[in-house]
Amino acid sequence: MTLAPVDYVILAIYFGFVLGIGWRLRKRVSTSGDFLLSGRSVPVWITSLAFLAANLGAQELIGMSASGAKYGIMTAHFYWVGAVPAMLFVGVFMMPFYYGSRARSVPEYLKLRFDEKTRAFNAFTFATMTVFSSGISMYALGLLLQLVLGWSFTASVLCSAAIVLAYTFLGGLTSAIYNEVLQFFLIVLGFSPLAALAVTKAGGWDGMAARIPAVMTHSWKYLGSASENPMGVEVFGLVAGLGFVLSFGYWCTDFLVVQRAMAADSMSAARRTPLLAALPKMMIPFIVIVPGIAGLALSRMATGYHLPMKNGGPDYDQVLTTLMAQFYPAGMLGVGLTGLMASFMSGMAGNVTAFNTVWTYDIYQSYIRPGAPDQHYLKVGRVTTIVGVALSICTAYLAQHYNNIMDLLQLVFGFVNAPLFATFLLGMFWKRSTGHGAFTGLLGGTIAAALTHGLTVAEGKGGWLAELHHFPSTMAQNFWIAIFAWSTCFLATIAVSLATRPRAEGELSGLVYGLTKIPHQEGVPWYQRPGPLAVLVGGLLVLLNVWFF
Amino acid sequence: MLDLRVPSGWFFTLLGIILMACGLLQPQLRAALTDLNVNLYCGILMLLFGVFLLALARRGARRE
Repeated sequence: MTLAPVDYVILAIYFGFVLGIGWRLRKRVSTSGDFLLSGRSVPVWITSLAFLAANLGAQELIGMSASGAKYGIMTAHFYWVGAVPAMLFVGVFMMPFYYGSRARSVPEYLKLRFDEKTRAFNAFTFATMTVFSSGISMYALGLLLQLVLGWSFTASVLCSAAIVLAYTFLGGLTSAIYNEVLQFFLIVLGFSPLAALAVTKAGGWDGMAARIPAVMTHSWKYLGSASENPMGVEVFGLVAGLGFVLSFGYWCTDFLVVQRAMAADSMSAARRTPLLAALPKMMIPFIVIVPGIAGLALSRMATGYHLPMKNGGPDYDQVLTTLMAQFYPAGMLGVGLTGLMASFMSGMAGNVTAFNTVWTYDIYQSYIRPGAPDQHYLKVGRVTTIVGVALSICTAYLAQHYNNIMDLLQLVFGFVNAPLFATFLLGMFWKRSTGHGAFTGLLGGTIAAALTHGLTVAEGKGGWLAELHHFPSTMAQNFWIAIFAWSTCFLATIAVSLATRPRAEGELSGLVYGLTKIPHQEGVPWYQRPGPLAVLVGGLLVLLNVWFF
Repeated sequence: MLDLRVPSGWFFTLLGIILMACGLLQPQLRAALTDLNVNLYCGILMLLFGVFLLALARRGARRE
């Protein structure tokens, strides 16, 4: 793929706007709260789209189109069984406690609800994870640009990291959130024409379905047993592992996304943020997964399109870019490429800003230097931005040792996020759960995750302790790791909580269901109330699942 | 506070104009697998979106 001058012009204009937004927002930053929490003043449509875009990193675009070509429309379960129900849950049931507790971060909520050690555990694991995610995102982009355009890996990684650093350093979280929205628009407008063109060329949905195995165009029909579908999972593993544990663990407890909702200007807006984000979220498969399926169908037609190859097998990670090269002329090609860069930047900025807040408030202010004036923490926040970006660059080079990005991410989330959702579920809805219980549960859950990975093998991965069980795919393995981690955490938390002394009910006001007054909104139109919105989104979700059954 | 619809609106307006110019100046330019003038149509789409955002921002500013 070669770029024309106009493509570079478009890329440059985009960089100009991104930096310009950061520059315009720099004056709003006068306290650490402005820099790290956006001063809780961002309009709800912006927080919603940022909630969505912070997760829509480069590895999501590349990985999801790759999985589309590899597994078919089943990949959409990551959205229709995974993300969207979890987003509804966090908006309706969990946001009142996050926002209402006035905690500045997810780890800080754990401190208020449980104790110091639970917060420390979460703060450190989360900080590590964000650095890794951001590095993986960077690696994915660097590799792709090297492969497709022949750009130097180091140059593209450093150049895009520098731009992310510049605008987050200037305007903090607000700048990251504002740019995420611009990036979201660009991703949608840059990639939806590709989906439309590729599907049309492949003969529409029916034409595609006629050319590829039936398992690729049905999301539920072939989930009866693991041997029937290329993902190697069955209904229980998928719904419990991906739908319940992994997705709820990510969307409900991961500070990267929760932070966007917490920046909203009111409790009602914070609750509506994930609900409004769920509407576009359930449509994302049509721009990221469907082109991959269309690519597979096109490769079976006499169009001259072939799946990109590597080492004798198809290289699915290149499906998206090869399609771009086949359907976009100079000009639109620049827009598509800019969209890829945008997705990378929003993914990275999301991680960097979350890392910032957790490091500054939950680690630095709590354990290294408490009680300093606010200006000091503002300065620490800014310095952490630089450190966070530098660490991500290091992990990008580390990530070069792994090839399948999505699997690795799922593995990391299985170790960290999966047990966490059990902790929050018990913490928010069972007033009897205690700090000792939560900490033991988290620790036990993480160990259970590691043990499951060590004792089972899938596609040659895992089994570093013994080989007790073989999974048909790493995806199935990851789902089961998550299920074991969650169950261990859930049971251990309950057992230890019952054996330890509970906190006085008066201390838990605003933190636990039943002891918190959730504001009722009389006289507010239905579309501004969380309940009716959730019902609407849930109804649409069921329709989509039935449609692609 | 910066109204995000303004910079986003200008960005897509500009992008739309550039793409439409590409489509009009090189009407014979085609990518390998399509017979459409992709730049022209996508340019119109982006321009409309940009103008739409700017219109929303203007309406919002007038209300305040």
